[in-house]
Amino acid sequence: MRREWEGEKLPRVVFTLLIVSKAGGLIYNREFHAGLSKQDTNELLIIAGTFHGVHAISQKLCPVPPAQPPPSNIPTMPVRPSGIEVMESANFRLQCFQTVTGTKFLLFTEPQQPNIDGIMRRIYELYCDFAMKNPFYTVEMPIRCEKFDRGLDGFVKATR
Amino acid sequence: MVVYAFYIFDRHTECIYSKKWPPPVAASTAKPRPQSTSSAATNGESAQPLTRRTNQKSDDEKLVFGVVFSLRNMCRNLGGEDNFFMNFRTNEYKLHYFETLTRLKFVMLTDTRTGNLRAALHQIWLNLYIEYVVKNPLSPAEHPGGMGVANELFERGLESFVREVLSAPS
Repeated sequence: MRREWEGEKLPRVVFTLLIVSKAGGLIYNREFHAGLSKQDTNELLIIAGTFHGVHAISQKLCPVPPAQPPPSNIPTMPVRPSGIEVMESANFRLQCFQTVTGTKFLLFTEPQQPNIDGIMRRIYELYCDFAMKNPFYTVEMPIRCEKFDRGLDGFVKATR
Repeated sequence: MVVYAFYIFDRHTECIYSKKWPPPVAASTAKPRPQSTSSAATNGESAQPLTRRTNQKSDDEKLVFGVVFSLRNMCRNLGGEDNFFMNFRTNEYKLHYFETLTRLKFVMLTDTRTGNLRAALHQIWLNLYIEYVVKNPLSPAEHPGGMGVANELFERGLESFVREVLSAPS
């Protein structure tokens, strides 16, 4: 808890957040800081779709047999291949978080950004609170919730 | 760290070299498997997730190429012309990527606890590929079907590099 709080004191540069539905469509995008090349909506849709496909392939590329759980009588959930979790390039880092229902959160940050897991968790909370609990929001549809926008801005920009 | 596989793709998108190292823990994981399948059978549950289909070798090559090609283009697109894709990690493995100016692509799959291997792939290109494949007078300029790449010196150099440098206990 203490460490997280300290992490949030550091300057953070989160470039962009994309939310990809389980079918591979882009349902939300927001740019917090300039840093990546400007993309129009069509290009963002292509990026979301491409990443969705690449993520699915990366689950199939397992070089090792999946780890076996210790034998017991209690049925356990098998460990599922997660697909891409982190991708690094020279200028940015892409963290991908997939929910149990298949929605993917893609967060583009600076390469040295600390505590991305904490940021991701908070963004997921905001999504649950302001998008999923919104009675006027239909799942798998583009998210247009002003409170979600404001919550994200408040969280990502306020602690800078 | 553990190295699982290594691939080289040429600029015609063809896989000109691939090598897989058998996972070293295979012997120990083979033991609990019959027990767990039998316990799953007694529970009346299907052991479906345990029998995950393993890909054919050429399938793997194509899938790896598709992944790195898409991600490389995505990185170019988003981060500008000078940006390059370095690696990605899943919960099972980590994929490292290095591309030369001639669009020769070097890909290595390792376990997840490995740092960035871009420098190591650069070393393989510089010290092994250039020395033993490019400078080989008997090797063709292009390598259709991997011709001329998998020569004895290159294979031996790669094997010892992976064993002594990459798989060394840290």
